Amino acid sequence: MSTYIIKRLLAALPVIAGVIAVVFILTTIVPGDPVRLMMGQRGDPATIERIKEDLGLNKPLWWQFLDFFRRALTLDLGKSYRNNMPVTRAIGQRIPLTAKIALSAMAIAVIMGVTLGIISAVRQYSILDYGSMFVALLGISAPTFWVGLLLVVLFCVKLGWIPGTGTGDGSWIYLVLPVITLGIRPAALIARLTRSSMLEIIRQDYIRTAWAKGLSERVVVMKHALKNAMIPVVTIIGIQTATMLSGAIVTERVFSLPGIGRLSVEALINRDFPVIRGEVLFLALIFVFTNLLVDLSYPLFDPRIKYDR
Amino acid sequence: MLKRSFAVALALVMVVAVFAGCSKPAVDTPAEGKSDKYGGIFRMAVMSDPPDLDPVHATDTSSSRVLYQLFEMLVDLDSEGEIVPNLAESWTISPDGLTYTFKLRQGVKFHATTENGTPTANGGRAVTAEDWVWTFNYITNPKTNSERAYFLDMIKGYQDYQEGKTDHLAGVRAIDDSTLEITLEYAFSPFIAVLAYNTFVVLPKEDVEKWGAEFNFHPVGTGPFKFEEWVQDDRVVLSKNENYWRTDADGNQLPYLDGIEFKVINDLTMEWTEFTLGNFESIEELDDPYYHEALSKYPDSFFERPQMGTYYYGMNVTLEPFKDNKKLRQALNYAIDRQGLIDLVRNGRATPAKGVLPPGMFGYNENLVGYEYNPEKAKQLLAEAGYPNGVKLTLQYNSSDAHKRIAEALQQQLKQIGIDMELKNVDWGAHLDSVERSEVPFFRMGWVVDYPDPDNFLYVLLHTDNFGPNGNYTRFSNPEFDRLTKEARVESDPEKRRKMYQEAEQIVVEEAPWLFIYHYTTHQLLQPYVKGYELPSFGAYSAKYYDVWLDN
Repeated sequence: MSTYIIKRLLAALPVIAGVIAVVFILTTIVPGDPVRLMMGQRGDPATIERIKEDLGLNKPLWWQFLDFFRRALTLDLGKSYRNNMPVTRAIGQRIPLTAKIALSAMAIAVIMGVTLGIISAVRQYSILDYGSMFVALLGISAPTFWVGLLLVVLFCVKLGWIPGTGTGDGSWIYLVLPVITLGIRPAALIARLTRSSMLEIIRQDYIRTAWAKGLSERVVVMKHALKNAMIPVVTIIGIQTATMLSGAIVTERVFSLPGIGRLSVEALINRDFPVIRGEVLFLALIFVFTNLLVDLSYPLFDPRIKYDR
Repeated sequence: MLKRSFAVALALVMVVAVFAGCSKPAVDTPAEGKSDKYGGIFRMAVMSDPPDLDPVHATDTSSSRVLYQLFEMLVDLDSEGEIVPNLAESWTISPDGLTYTFKLRQGVKFHATTENGTPTANGGRAVTAEDWVWTFNYITNPKTNSERAYFLDMIKGYQDYQEGKTDHLAGVRAIDDSTLEITLEYAFSPFIAVLAYNTFVVLPKEDVEKWGAEFNFHPVGTGPFKFEEWVQDDRVVLSKNENYWRTDADGNQLPYLDGIEFKVINDLTMEWTEFTLGNFESIEELDDPYYHEALSKYPDSFFERPQMGTYYYGMNVTLEPFKDNKKLRQALNYAIDRQGLIDLVRNGRATPAKGVLPPGMFGYNENLVGYEYNPEKAKQLLAEAGYPNGVKLTLQYNSSDAHKRIAEALQQQLKQIGIDMELKNVDWGAHLDSVERSEVPFFRMGWVVDYPDPDNFLYVLLHTDNFGPNGNYTRFSNPEFDRLTKEARVESDPEKRRKMYQEAEQIVVEEAPWLFIYHYTTHQLLQPYVKGYELPSFGAYSAKYYDVWLDN
């Protein structure tokens, strides 16, 4: 197992280096000069040149690229051009909020999605099936910003149950709407996937055998069918979790939440190269680790999968 | 108004009146209980996080809004944009206009504590002339890389210091603890106005040296409020400075408020919604769709007035089709109905622009011969310009709903005379970059003054010296205009100066390197219980809250 993990991590290194290389090239191709943007609408050329020199922006791209990796090894991702904050601190400050929202949204999505998916599959073509799949279709189709605004109008303005957007006084009540907004789409995705995966499984011979043995519906569905149906679902849960952890740009904007997504948007607008590169590195790491975790979880659902050889 | 300042300022030696505790009287003064004014947190929704709380590096209004509460300059602007004493009680100017001597206010102290009561490195000591000398040296030190240091390039020794030929700024020295002298390389009439810019504040050496680059996250100044907390992209919290030097008319210590909280709500619909829920005392911007509702709901606490700024479309005179084609540029100016545009897309919240300078600015010319809406004349000029069958243009603007609405309305207006205007939007960084590099013939732009003087409009945006990043994006160049605006910089007689600027502006209008559109307004929406607020003509972002109080 540990050999497998080490192998996977080593294999991820070129992927990460490749991603950063692409970002380096893209950031230089895109028009817009970070130092010029720092100066406001006007700036004097002498100061612009001096700042560029100090930031190493006049150095060749390959030098900047290697320097980035050299320093990244010591966990130094440079400082934001915009406000001089070390990039590791800027990202670090935002992880707790983003993680709290993403993981809560995912927990709700899994509970709701899997439940709806099972019910739909077991009671195929029933009202319950049509009803939940219709809701799931809505969930996938509704744009996130629209759902967010709708929830705010309903729960903050009309009903007054939730005091407002932002983080407020830090209490959990402020996170309810963002979590729902963020959780709707993955919940719908998981529900649809669970349903189709379950439908495939419950037609298998061994399920028929289980019924023939006289097992209860609960045991057949939960133990024999669900466990086997979970592999594709777990995969999608992994990808969705990674996506949400790397920042929920729209949700964070609608609810004015200072998460990873907002940092990315601001960094892109301001051509804040160190933050952009740092975020991409962070994102790449998140994906590598979640994918690894997902792969490692497969043996729990299917004992035929083994990593210890 | 400004004219008077200059008259007084530049006629030989003058002393500006001393206002102890100066400031404006509160708008509503309750008959009883002065102490009733104390207390409360002023919560304001702002669109974006301030990038800089270090005034030396701040270049934007989001940062300025906070900096005005934490730091103080030698002089300040009152709500009418007139220069008033601040940490300098008075000043004199030598007859040759080269030496400025400032008498500093006594009893001004740096913040003694910050961030939840933590003592500052300076310990709350009094500000002396030496602090100003140190600060000016720090700002102009090439190692500091202050984005706004070049505003002070007229101070004697600036170039030598920047180029490393000297180890200090020769033109600034302390005569004694309370007297500061600044010597200029050349007479520069708007110098005092430049000093009102929010980078040129006094800084405590001990704290700046203690924090280094981290001073941005631990700012310490002399202002009415102290820094408490900054959660990136979420909020900036300030608390009352108990040792603030200003008192109100009755001798009560200011500020009244216990603190200010700037909360980032980066969506205008949400800002308005939360304001109506009572979650904020004020919001940064009232979006056009909510304008009428706000006017009817908050008739006495919505403030709006003209701001010193101009919205225009630049025509690069070195690129086709505008190159050597004054008539085409003039045709565009005749083709648009400014008032119609303002009424249609801005709810009437702007003033049509006849020329460059906004009303309220020194040198503004009521009798400027500008462009009226005259489609017939526009068509005729267009034909004379070589386009009898119309012309196709592409306007580049930086992405924003407001700019889009304006561009679409003008697109329709220009179509009437046969101009087919295509719209192209790019983000601000790419826009600025391509415009400055002279790659875009027709582009949106706007300008709000850094300091209230026509120099900051005409010289900066249109003089041949300032092509590219310095501000002249249209690459307009006219020898007579250049001469007038350059000479006006050093002219000490305000009347002569005014005439020079008016003459210069008339040249720009005639040559039409801009499609003059409108002059901005500035506004602020407050809850009805917020008292003592005055909207500055310089822009709502420059409002100070030291005498604002909450009547609830």
